[in-house]
Amino acid sequence: MKKKLLKFPLIFFLSILLVFFYLLMIDRNPSEIPSALLNKNIPKFEAESLFKDKNFISSKEFGNETTLVNFFATWCKPCLDEHVYIKRFSDEKMIKVIGINYKDNPKKAIQWLKKLGNPYSNVALDKNGRIAIDWGVYGVPETFVVNPEGIIKYRHAGPVTKKIYKKINLIIEDNK
Amino acid sequence: MTTYKILLTNILLFILSVSLVFLVTNNSNSVEPDEILQDQKQEFRARNISKNIRCMVCQNESIDESSAPLAKDLRILIRSKIKEGKKDEEIYKFLTDRYGDFILLKPPFKLSTLALWVLPFLFLIIGVLIVLFHNKKSKKIHYL
Repeated sequence: MKKKLLKFPLIFFLSILLVFFYLLMIDRNPSEIPSALLNKNIPKFEAESLFKDKNFISSKEFGNETTLVNFFATWCKPCLDEHVYIKRFSDEKMIKVIGINYKDNPKKAIQWLKKLGNPYSNVALDKNGRIAIDWGVYGVPETFVVNPEGIIKYRHAGPVTKKIYKKINLIIEDNK
Repeated sequence: MTTYKILLTNILLFILSVSLVFLVTNNSNSVEPDEILQDQKQEFRARNISKNIRCMVCQNESIDESSAPLAKDLRILIRSKIKEGKKDEEIYKFLTDRYGDFILLKPPFKLSTLALWVLPFLFLIIGVLIVLFHNKKSKKIHYL
């Protein structure tokens, strides 16, 4: 009886160790925060457009097809790093990509896109960062997958890397 | 003996001064003069809310303490909502609707956070029971 009781703390301790070891080994980022907007409708907004004289009206831009929303700024280095992948979405995968230019200088943004190539079908200007707050964005770049019904299916905070590019492609396939 | 005393007073003085520094600096905040509301009551409410809201950029600071641009934006947003006449609960809901419960520094008491809030007390009760049980048993042995 007594010997059995003595074994219990050891087993308990080992199982905790196992859980910790498992969490340490699996591929996860503890600082990654799930979006509160997942499976919800996109926030409606109206803003100036970077290319067009007409205002950017969200209800006219979304719907009918799976769309990517990419928050970016020219002052942000990771945005430059992920630009190749954003371009591959629009050039190779023929996905509609909407850009939201976060707290940036529109002239610089146009030059930036001329130099690097423009993957965006339209770009809304988020001059004071209010649109980003409505999307729960806490730092550029961030990328959202919006399904044809205008519902957010995925959010990635940080630059799109090769791995994330593949992951987003799979999510797009699932939501077509 | 006297050198020992001097050393002791020196150590005490050091601890006192360090804690004094902490006492003063811990009260620091990042609210800039142009953000502050005219109405003192409203400003007090804004400060109170800001202290409970996590800075999503720095993650372990409140937006009241953080100097990140997003923290500043949210401080200004909270103040404009207060000016509009919004209640505290409405402002908290506005923020959690966008950033999730993670933006609250203190996790709310919900079904999904039940384990977080209840387990420590459960473990405490189990611990007390084990100690009591153990004492009873050892006493019995002693008397026999």
